[in-house]
Formats: sequence, structure tokens, C-alpha cells
Amino acid sequence: MPTALQDPLFQLVLAAVLGALGVMLLLPKPQRQSRTLGVFLAMAGLAVFGAFLYTAFGRPMSDSIADVLFCIFAAVALLSGTLLVTQRNPARGAIAFAFVILSTCGLFLLLAAPFLMAATIIIYMGAIIVTFLFVLMLSHVVGPSDENDRSREPLLGSLAGFAFIGLICFTLLQGHTNIARAETALPQPMLTANDRSLLAEASADFDRAIAAEEIADAFKHYGSGRAKLLLIVGQGELNSEHPPVRERLSAMRTEPRTMALLKQTEGLRVLANSTDDKLLNAGIDLNQFRYAIKLLRDQTVIYSGNGQLPARNVANIGYILYSEHILSVELAGTLLLVATIGAVTMTQRRKEATA
Amino acid sequence: MISLWHFLSVGAALFGLGLVGFLTRRNLITMFLCAEMMLQGVVLNFLAFGRYHGDLSGQVISLFIIAVAACEAGLALALFLMLYRRGRTLDSGSWQNVREAGVPASIDREPLPKPEYIEPAPTLPVAGLKPKPTQEETVRA
Repeated sequence: MPTALQDPLFQLVLAAVLGALGVMLLLPKPQRQSRTLGVFLAMAGLAVFGAFLYTAFGRPMSDSIADVLFCIFAAVALLSGTLLVTQRNPARGAIAFAFVILSTCGLFLLLAAPFLMAATIIIYMGAIIVTFLFVLMLSHVVGPSDENDRSREPLLGSLAGFAFIGLICFTLLQGHTNIARAETALPQPMLTANDRSLLAEASADFDRAIAAEEIADAFKHYGSGRAKLLLIVGQGELNSEHPPVRERLSAMRTEPRTMALLKQTEGLRVLANSTDDKLLNAGIDLNQFRYAIKLLRDQTVIYSGNGQLPARNVANIGYILYSEHILSVELAGTLLLVATIGAVTMTQRRKEATA
Repeated sequence: MISLWHFLSVGAALFGLGLVGFLTRRNLITMFLCAEMMLQGVVLNFLAFGRYHGDLSGQVISLFIIAVAACEAGLALALFLMLYRRGRTLDSGSWQNVREAGVPASIDREPLPKPEYIEPAPTLPVAGLKPKPTQEETVRA
């Protein structure tokens, strides 16, 4: 296989050119033209775009089911988007748009946004598409018409759009290679996957310590869990090959979220130390022992969820909406009201106009 | 491997496709649907970054985008209905007489194809006995 075909930049340019030509051929024109070549070019462009994504950014996700779902949803979204752009009949275009919405909703679900997925399906598929079809039926056209069978500057328009796609993807490619070269363009997540797995092991150790019947056993499990925890939240005195969180974050101390995480890290470290003292004082009382470890285990689990989306999506969105963004909610409500009034006044037939 | 990039690329592709449609199509409703598709690309970007940073703000701003898009849809539909009532067409090119001064008019040189002959729907000849008028019909007569 020639190396030029494996170069992501070449693939990107090829995908943009193929897509632009295909869409240009498919856009409606007054004379009847063969659509086969356009369909072929557009499909080839999509395939090359997929190959570009694969070679430039690697496999989409770490597990294969999400991989397959991402490919299906993205391909259906782009295909029906092309159909919407090139379809002569606007009612069929609206149906294609419904498919775009459905598949982007699948992508939303992959991005852990179930509430937004439901809202988009209800609002776009339920409300907007139906009202649009309603207006389309009101303004029904028979036979060839200017608006459906002509396009404005098909060549220039599709070139502009696909050049835009190519430029954005080129920028993404640049950013991606910069990150690979460790000139970080995007901030990395603060707790890495490595940290999380270590924290999960620590909390599993604490669980074993809680379940243990013998106090010596419990002490053994607790000790191993504590060592793992201190690898992450400690002050670096354990000089491991794994740098603790506070050392990694010291470069960007001024950012508010970093400060919050540092505070939490310090809190967890203090809790771990005080648990040590408590356990030494507890003597042989197994119940006190379990209670102290349970506290530490819970805090460890909460800490390891830092920087991840909360599991209770709807509740947390509601909380943020009505605490941080309350003014924006009010503004959005006002905007809806004003838009409704405007739409009603605009479509009203005036008495003198009809008389 | 970061999956953020894949979502950003798909979002950019959706935005670009919508841009092509908005620039080239002439039906007002198709143009509007293309603009909505561009918005979907933007929302995808917000959600991808929100997922990447573990922050719900991306989802919240997407919610506001949906609210604004709903307003926009209502206003656009009202506008289209009004324009259709005046000009009996949804062609955005038929409103080019309100363009800025000094911009040349775009004239369609290629003729549209002749409409194909559409066979009229078959009708049945009148046959059989005339049914008796019901009570309502006799009263109305």
C-alpha cells in the first residue's frame, strides 16, 4: 500500500474534494442529470472521511460496542445530512432532517447526555418537524418550481462548505499531533485513568478490611489500601514512579477547578492520617475500626469521581440550571414569550388588508 | 486514546454540510432545516467538550441553544407564512428586489423542465338508483 494513502492530510483533502464534487453533482439543477456519479463520489468521500478519522485519531473509543455505535450514528447523520441538502422534495428533506436528529441523539447518548437526547427528540422530532411539514403542506407546489429545482451557485457553495470542513479537521489534526508531542493544546483531565484505577483498588481494599472478621486481617487490607491512596493524595514523600496529584497540578494552581481539586486532595490526605490515629486508639474494638475505615472508603469513592460527569444527569442539570444559571433560565423564558407574541402578531391578517 | 476528536470532526462535518445547504438551496424551509443542522453540529461540540472535562455546563448551554432554536423556528415559520401569502412562493430568490443597492440581480438563464403530463384521476360514471334523501336533507331542502 502506498504511504501517500495512509497520510491523514492526504486523506482529508481527498475526502473534502470527493465530498464537494459529489454534493455539487447531486444538488438540484433544471436539466435532468444522472445522479449515479454524484452518489458514488459522495459515498467515497464519506468512506475516506471515516478512514481519515481512523488514521488521524485512532479508534473512537476503548470498547468495541461504543465504537460500532459511534460509527453507525455518525455515518447515518452525515448521510441523511447530505440527503437533506440534495433532496428536491422539501417534505422528504424534512424526513431526512428527522434522521439527522435521531442519529445525533444517539451521539448525545454516547456523550452521557440522556436528558438532552430526550429533549432534542421531543422538541425537534415532535414539534419542529411536524410544524414544518404542516407549513409545507400549506404551500404545496405541483410540478417543477424555482425553489426546489434550482440551486444557487452549486460549485462555489459546495466548495466553500467542504473547504470549511477540511480546515476545521486540519486544525483538529494539528491539535492532536501537538498533544502527542506533549505540547499540550488541550488541558488533560485532572485525574487520569491510572489514578482512577488505583483509587478503585484502594476502595476495594478498604471494603475487604470492613468485611474482615479478624482485626489483624483488617489491618493488613487497610494498610495496603492506604498505601495506594497515599500514592495519589500524598505529598510525594513516598518517592514512587507515580507522581502524586498535587505535584502534577502545581503548575496551574490559579485555576478555580484545580484549586478545588487540590483542596479535596489535601482533605483526603488529612482524613487518611486522622484515620490512622483513630485506629491506633480504637484498640481491639472491631466496630469502631470498621466505622473509621468506612468513612475513609466513602471519601475515596467520592474523590475518584472528580472530573467525571455525575451519574444522576437530570437531577444535576436541574440543580445547575436553578442555582448557577437562574438568570439565563428567566431570560430564555422571556425570549420564548416574546417570540410567541411576535409570531402571532406577524401572521395576523389585518382587517383593512383583507377588505 | 481520546475520543473527543472524533466527535469534534463529526460536529464540524455536520456544520459544513448545513453550510452547503444554506448557501445553495433556495427553498426557505430547506434553508432553515440546514441552519438547524448547523446548530446540531455546534451542540455536538459543546457536549463533547463537556464530557471531556467532566462538566455539566456544556449540557446546560446546549439546553439554552435548544430553547433559542425553538423561538427561532416559531418566528421563521410565521415569517415564511407571511411571505408565502404575499408572493405565493417559498423561493428566497423571489425576494431579491429588496437587496442592497449596487448588487447585481441573479437571473436564472436555464429554463425549468416542462412539467410531465399527469393523467387525471379516474372518475366513476353515475349509475344505479338515486338513494332516498334522509330526513335532514329533506328538511334542509
